[in-house]
Amino acid sequence: MSELTADDMKDIQGFVISGYAHLPCVSYLLLRVDDAAAARRWLGQIVSEVTTSEGKELISGLNVAITHGGLRRLGLHEQTLDTFSRPFVEGMATPHRSRILGDGAENAPSNWDWGGDMESDPTRAIDILLLLFGNDETTLDALVSEHRSGLARGGLTEILALGAGRQPDIHEHFGFADGMGQPAIEGTIQTRDAAARNIIKTGEILLGYVNDYGKLADTPSLKAALDPQNTLLDLPAVDETEQALPPGERGTVRRDFGRNGTYLVFRQMAQHVAKFCHFLDEATRTLDGEFDANASERLAAKFVGRWQSGAPLVLSPDTDDASLGRVDDFGYRDEDAHGFRCPIGSHVRRSNPRDTLGPDGPTALATANRHRILRRGRSYGVRPDDRRVDDGVPRGLHFLCLNSDIERQFEFVQQTWCNNPVFGGLDGEVDPLVGNLTKGDEIFTVQADPLRTRVHNLQRFVTVKGGAYFFLPSLRALRYLAGL
Amino acid sequence: MQQTILTFLTKVKPDHVSELRTLLDTMAADVEHNPHIPYLDLKLLHFSSLVLTDDPGYGPYLVFENNFDGKLEPYLEDLYAHAAEGLHRIYSCCSDYNATGPCDKDRLLSYLREHVRRPNAYHIGNLGRSVVRTHQEDALRDGVEDFLDDMVRQGNVGPPATIRQKIQAFVRGQPAFAWAGNAQPRQTKMEHFIPRLKIGLAALIALVLLPLLIPLAVVWLAMLRWTETNEPPPLELDVKDHVKELVKREDRTHIVQNHMCSITTVKPSLFRRMTLRAILWLINLLARTSDKGELSGIPSIHFAHWSLIDNGRRLLFVSNFDGSWENYLDDFIDKASTGLTAIWSNTVGFPKTSWLVREGARDGSRFKANARDKQTFTNVWYSAYKPLTVQTIDNNSQIRDDLFSTLDETATRDWVRRF
Repeated sequence: MSELTADDMKDIQGFVISGYAHLPCVSYLLLRVDDAAAARRWLGQIVSEVTTSEGKELISGLNVAITHGGLRRLGLHEQTLDTFSRPFVEGMATPHRSRILGDGAENAPSNWDWGGDMESDPTRAIDILLLLFGNDETTLDALVSEHRSGLARGGLTEILALGAGRQPDIHEHFGFADGMGQPAIEGTIQTRDAAARNIIKTGEILLGYVNDYGKLADTPSLKAALDPQNTLLDLPAVDETEQALPPGERGTVRRDFGRNGTYLVFRQMAQHVAKFCHFLDEATRTLDGEFDANASERLAAKFVGRWQSGAPLVLSPDTDDASLGRVDDFGYRDEDAHGFRCPIGSHVRRSNPRDTLGPDGPTALATANRHRILRRGRSYGVRPDDRRVDDGVPRGLHFLCLNSDIERQFEFVQQTWCNNPVFGGLDGEVDPLVGNLTKGDEIFTVQADPLRTRVHNLQRFVTVKGGAYFFLPSLRALRYLAGL
Repeated sequence: MQQTILTFLTKVKPDHVSELRTLLDTMAADVEHNPHIPYLDLKLLHFSSLVLTDDPGYGPYLVFENNFDGKLEPYLEDLYAHAAEGLHRIYSCCSDYNATGPCDKDRLLSYLREHVRRPNAYHIGNLGRSVVRTHQEDALRDGVEDFLDDMVRQGNVGPPATIRQKIQAFVRGQPAFAWAGNAQPRQTKMEHFIPRLKIGLAALIALVLLPLLIPLAVVWLAMLRWTETNEPPPLELDVKDHVKELVKREDRTHIVQNHMCSITTVKPSLFRRMTLRAILWLINLLARTSDKGELSGIPSIHFAHWSLIDNGRRLLFVSNFDGSWENYLDDFIDKASTGLTAIWSNTVGFPKTSWLVREGARDGSRFKANARDKQTFTNVWYSAYKPLTVQTIDNNSQIRDDLFSTLDETATRDWVRRF
């Protein structure tokens, strides 16, 4: 069932439908609005350049996302600003959100390079995220300098440019193929090769559509009177209060600012590659103290839940099998209830427990699928020549993901699954890669038959360096902002 | 072994509200070592909370929640022995309190006895496990886990039966675990049998009265549909600011456990009030047979209860649960929407239902918004074992229960997998 029309595809930013694998070079410009009127004019010009979801193969791409503070500084009305979801309004760095996300100690927002507590520290404010993509370095450089030159006139200041740089392949810095295990949005091209278990309702990612509860999720909206140009679409009559109105007045009450938009989560995560490799090497030494390359690689795979090629441990428990690299149609319940193949606490099993948590497989899968996110991350920094040598070069992952309900999706995954010390019957351990490792002796349990092994004294292999919640508006909404 | 769930429900003198709130805040600053109620000395107490609510329609109330081992009287003695002064200070802020000082034991305890609210329906996750036993069994498992780490490190892992023998030898060699051998049953035979007998009796009575019940049910259903159709739809709620305050107090225990208390207004009709009372009675009847740690498929509730207060005009709900609020409410929606819709659809603000149990909570975001709207601030909350979930406690008990019993090959293998 497709609810998305060709008109919608023109309205939805292309980043929702595609991760732009054909555009390997990227630069994320973090901008601050200094002059609202100039910035709105800038936005008005840029709208025509925004890559949409129509699926044209282009040599470059441009998308725009805006923080809550950015919407305010662009002049969106307070009463409209109040209709956005709570996490987006509050931002990523309130004390409560830090507890949810596990951003304590080294990961605390006060240590971040960018983002963080924008409310109480205006110098940290980030208003706009401009995502620029190119098919090669030359195209990207040209695109970046073209847009940089227009910033001053647009009343904008560049706070930071986060470049990702071309990676040799799809593997992230710890060596694992990344980008597998994505949900597919119903009604889009993404469902073409997707297993039924991975297809989610359009409203799980895009606002304005029915979500997995069979409801239209809350969406930012405004009084029709605030949109005299009729730039935005009407908000469908969803509640009884409105249905009680005479037919002529239904739907004219409010306009839907959110439709065809989505929330974008951005977190910069530094990866400490040499520390990771050394830890694995030490933890897997033989009884005689010998280095065991295979055991080290196997433990890394146990942490992740997939082999370096991407092959799921649950399908190939003993050795890597590159032919299974892209396979995503599997569960854990019947195949590996005890975690003997893929540890219960491994990163991929925590991030998406599939059919495991619940009274039966189908219920568990349906429940887990209410917490899916569409990942759009890319590695940054150059690949090290030797992963065991600490060359001091910063590298990591720019984690970006899209979801229609930050609290129920991204934050839930972080809190209830990754950072949950008692996830799936475990006791006192968190995700070995992205978990909030704060105790002295953090452990990771590798379930095995007959007896588990507990790996002790885990270290922090990943550190959060920055982050913010953005809104990725539809083109209509961008035009509306430009016309304020 | 019996456990008791109750609240002391008292009205607060309106001019003492701010004094009491300050007092509770002092306690909350460091719950374990607060100067008024030394929780750590109360060896019978599992979970406890103090909630100060001030609804303009009903005036200020103090809800003192207690979930403890054994019966009321020994607990009251223990409470008095350790917290007489704190109790006196707290209840001096409440109406009708007439003890002359902390030493006036009779009046102080009578006051508490008079204000006991026993729940209309309740659930206990880890039936029959006392606080002491819960701590002991957790220490036992920790000890064995460390022992097993050494075993693995030495590359010395044999078949399950050998592992088990080594564990048994290890525990026998530890004087600190001398108690491990004599596990008491969680429930006596009577405790197990009586709830089932009650259900049987209720079913029997219902069967006998069937000719009478059928017309009654028809009338009830007709009234229900009429009520559901004619009740005004709930208002759209703006709960943002309220939620902002609520979440400040949440996820304090590295999210292993959380607490929630809510007070809802029962819809103002005799029909709704009677229906709610009947539903709670029925749920309580059925919940008494739950000995696997689950309430309607939800495996994460330690102690929860519902009490009708203010002559049945309001419904108090208190729960001590594992995980995040979002996860808890999702569990409600996904696993227990029938039961909870049957209860809360009789209260104001709940999403529209049909046939009492349909729709309602399945409208996820409205259900959550309403739940947040009715949630009160938990001023003080104590848990005797913050890092433990219902499931962990149960696993620990299973390990201990089967430690020295005779197990066949499969059972031995499964037992070793519990670590």
